[in-house]
Amino acid sequence: MSDLDKAISELRACKIIPEPQVREICHKARELLIEEANVVQVDAPVTICGDIHGQFHDLMELFRVGGDVPDTNYLFMGDFVDRGFYSLESFLLLLCLKVRYPDRITLIRGNHESRQITTVYGFYDECLRKYGSANVWRYCCEVFDYLALGALVLGTSSTLEPSFTDQSQAIEPVDDDVEIEIMNSRNEVTARFPRSRRRLFESDGLNSSPPGTPSKTGPSGTGATSDSGGSHHSGGAVLCVHGGLSPLIDSVDKIRLLDRKQEVPHEGAMCDLLWSDPDEIDTWGLSPRGAGFLFGPEIVKRFNHLNDLSLIARAHQLVMEGFKEMFDSSIVTVWSAPNYCYRCGNVAAILELGEDTSNGGVISRSNGDAGRSVQAFTPNLAPRSGPGRRYRVFEAAPQDPRGMPAKKPVADYFL
Amino acid sequence: MSGTQSASNIPSLELLSKNQTPTFVTPLKRINEGHDVSAFLTSKAYSDIMTFLLQLNRAMFPIYVQNVSTSGQKRVQVWDLDCQAVEFSETVQSIRNLLEELDHIIDDVPPDPGPRRFGNASFKKWYQKIEERTSDLLKSHLPESTLQYPHDSEITAESELSSYLLGSFGSSQRLDYGSGHELSFLAFLGCIWKLGGFTASSADTPSGNNERAIVLALIVPYLSLIRRLILTYTLEPAGSHGVWGLDDHSFIPYILGSAQYGPAISPRDQTPTEGSRPDAPDPADVAKTAAVERQRQQNMYFGAIGFIHDVKKGPFWEHSPMLYDISGIRTGWGKINKGMIKMYNAEVLSKFPVVQHFRFGSLFSFDKDPHATPPPASVHAANQPVRDGSGSSSAEKIAAPRAPPPPSASQAASIPGSGAATAAPWASRGPAIPTPAIGTIAPWATAPTGMIDPSQSTETRSAHKGSAPSGAESGTVAPLSSRQPTITGAAVPPTRYPPSGSRLAPVSGRIRTEANGEDLPAAVAAATAQSMPPPTRAPWAKPS
Repeated sequence: MSDLDKAISELRACKIIPEPQVREICHKARELLIEEANVVQVDAPVTICGDIHGQFHDLMELFRVGGDVPDTNYLFMGDFVDRGFYSLESFLLLLCLKVRYPDRITLIRGNHESRQITTVYGFYDECLRKYGSANVWRYCCEVFDYLALGALVLGTSSTLEPSFTDQSQAIEPVDDDVEIEIMNSRNEVTARFPRSRRRLFESDGLNSSPPGTPSKTGPSGTGATSDSGGSHHSGGAVLCVHGGLSPLIDSVDKIRLLDRKQEVPHEGAMCDLLWSDPDEIDTWGLSPRGAGFLFGPEIVKRFNHLNDLSLIARAHQLVMEGFKEMFDSSIVTVWSAPNYCYRCGNVAAILELGEDTSNGGVISRSNGDAGRSVQAFTPNLAPRSGPGRRYRVFEAAPQDPRGMPAKKPVADYFL
Repeated sequence: MSGTQSASNIPSLELLSKNQTPTFVTPLKRINEGHDVSAFLTSKAYSDIMTFLLQLNRAMFPIYVQNVSTSGQKRVQVWDLDCQAVEFSETVQSIRNLLEELDHIIDDVPPDPGPRRFGNASFKKWYQKIEERTSDLLKSHLPESTLQYPHDSEITAESELSSYLLGSFGSSQRLDYGSGHELSFLAFLGCIWKLGGFTASSADTPSGNNERAIVLALIVPYLSLIRRLILTYTLEPAGSHGVWGLDDHSFIPYILGSAQYGPAISPRDQTPTEGSRPDAPDPADVAKTAAVERQRQQNMYFGAIGFIHDVKKGPFWEHSPMLYDISGIRTGWGKINKGMIKMYNAEVLSKFPVVQHFRFGSLFSFDKDPHATPPPASVHAANQPVRDGSGSSSAEKIAAPRAPPPPSASQAASIPGSGAATAAPWASRGPAIPTPAIGTIAPWATAPTGMIDPSQSTETRSAHKGSAPSGAESGTVAPLSSRQPTITGAAVPPTRYPPSGSRLAPVSGRIRTEANGEDLPAAVAAATAQSMPPPTRAPWAKPS
């Protein structure tokens, strides 16, 4: 068993690993991450996860529900640390898994992966308490600076593969036209939403450059790849980012141009990507958080259209049901910290996107959303068909296996 | 000084002088930038807040009383929440009724059943109702001598009172509540005190009775009201640190509650800093459900702990590690009390995100206290947020102009509460997001001996491998300063940071003492760095 595997098994048992090993792993992780683009390209199938916030036992529950690494591919959208009691164990485990299985797990940066935020919201205190020094905090922060800002999931399927279910359990066959499926932590389907039967052929305008669009050069997210030609059951490209959009970013390529290897700035594009929130407003609004912006449905639909995205997946906001699709399913919030802060009473969710393995023809353009008009936007900007989405919803892990800590170090003010 | 109501050597908040006609002003926000916190810490308001808090705190310690029936033998009088020995004046009872009315308004505004992210929008309606009724409520529950205190301007005392009262119940915009709102209620009571509302009718009551009446008849019901608001409208903890804060919402009950369990004192005794009354529960009982249920009816500390047990699921040591650590203290509730006051001073009164919302009028004045000694400005100013435009806009690395029009203020006005969200620490919003970096020097904090001056002792630091950062060598970058930290002993490539407009600032870490290897707060370290405890006019300060 390699040192790395040992570290993984220690961390899985919720034990911290020695400081020199943390340093070594952080160093290796940086070497890996430095090679990644600002927007990592990820192939489906992949399971997308939102905020973790040091809720280690719930992260273990997430792996139980979603499948273990490396059997399941994961994409974590940041906010691994702060607020929870086990930020160290959670982040280091994810980092070790990244080093051990670099192609199986993708980590992108959240607004809490920052020196300033972690000194305020707990991770710094936790490192000090658990290691007696801030060295480990420093090593981790150096890794934070190298985390990618976003990810682009390609090769998604517009249909859902039958879920892996318990053999003894009778699950009705998955309809080809199921767009959204919700499952509980016992692997039972709790809801299905069919795609509309109404089939529309893509308008030409969708796959050719609309006027005013930047020229499409790069690999995808820009329309040059993913489902151009419409020859598959493709669910289109999904952009994953922790917070949301920025008024400074009108194309995925602009994200690629940022210089990301730095502390998260207080303003500007990089800051916005990690801090912004969708909201029911016309265009842009000031964020009550004091960083990033609020952005409305038209902003998202336009961005998705111009970049040939079918969906934006983001995290960053607690949602009581674990996930929340907004703006005619053009953006979804995924939240993966159940009973947040031990008191919010919310469930958590992860989002599974299947792989497009079919060679079928062009399929429906409608998302089966009852309230949605085909002409919702302009004919030219009709939203793409979304990928098939399976949400696995889970609750906080049972507490049984947790023992009392051995000692009670005294807090500063009380000496 | 009007300290006749308190123990002879303990100062109390001064009443307005009858010889001068005051000029009331509408309280205004005065703390707009980080360095304004330093000004606050030398203001009359700060001095008054601490004096009032310590006065209430002292009054909650048990006292020795002469027992008439047993030939002058002393007995101990404790101040449990249901204690009958405290006399409530008419004013106190009337203000208690005011709080009851606010509580009844909750019944009229049920939480909105619709979908929501976290905080319940109906809280805005509740708040709007009390906003509309504040003037009437004050008029019907406060003595006219208080509201219409003789003054020489258009503005009456009522505008100062209503400002603090309305600031006491959380933010209706953000749907959150935190220690900044609690502070506002303390100031509300302090205003009434200064205007003579609490003392006028009961000049001959026993020492400390007025203070105890304020705590038992007003602060305790206030906390109940707050807890009901939090539960009803799921108010978010303002700027929650998650498990790494003392408590999601409250602070004062931990101060006053630990005083309730302290050792008994006589009028001339110093306020105790260790020991407990004989029947006090073990501090470790905070993790035991049965003990908490028993004590919460009698004690404010356990009342707050009980509320945590009510709202949080999971092991206590995990969701409340700081309180769990404190429960290991073996030197008594007096020690816990002293620590809580130090912590309140550092984590509430010295934190920009908390105190920035405090409003200053004539009763709690931003004017410099002429007797105040400046706090170590470098420590405070270097770590407090600054406003935009200070040259930190290094992020705009891409050439694109801000393509869409910038967000308008009118859009911003419609922003809903942010739910359980993180606020940027540099944002001037949200009370109770303590910045990590302020080492406040409590005026009463005396520097322990054998401490290391962090600015000089590199030798010792290396001798204590693994000690936390202190001072400028920490390699820790405080919020709002962004620069490459010094990397000590690590052969890693330097990371690039935003260039200009930034500073390296010390973070409130701990240093290790040579003598005992214990961690000490940076505050104390900073005090030591100045080679002596800060001179102070603070009447509660101990001679060094």
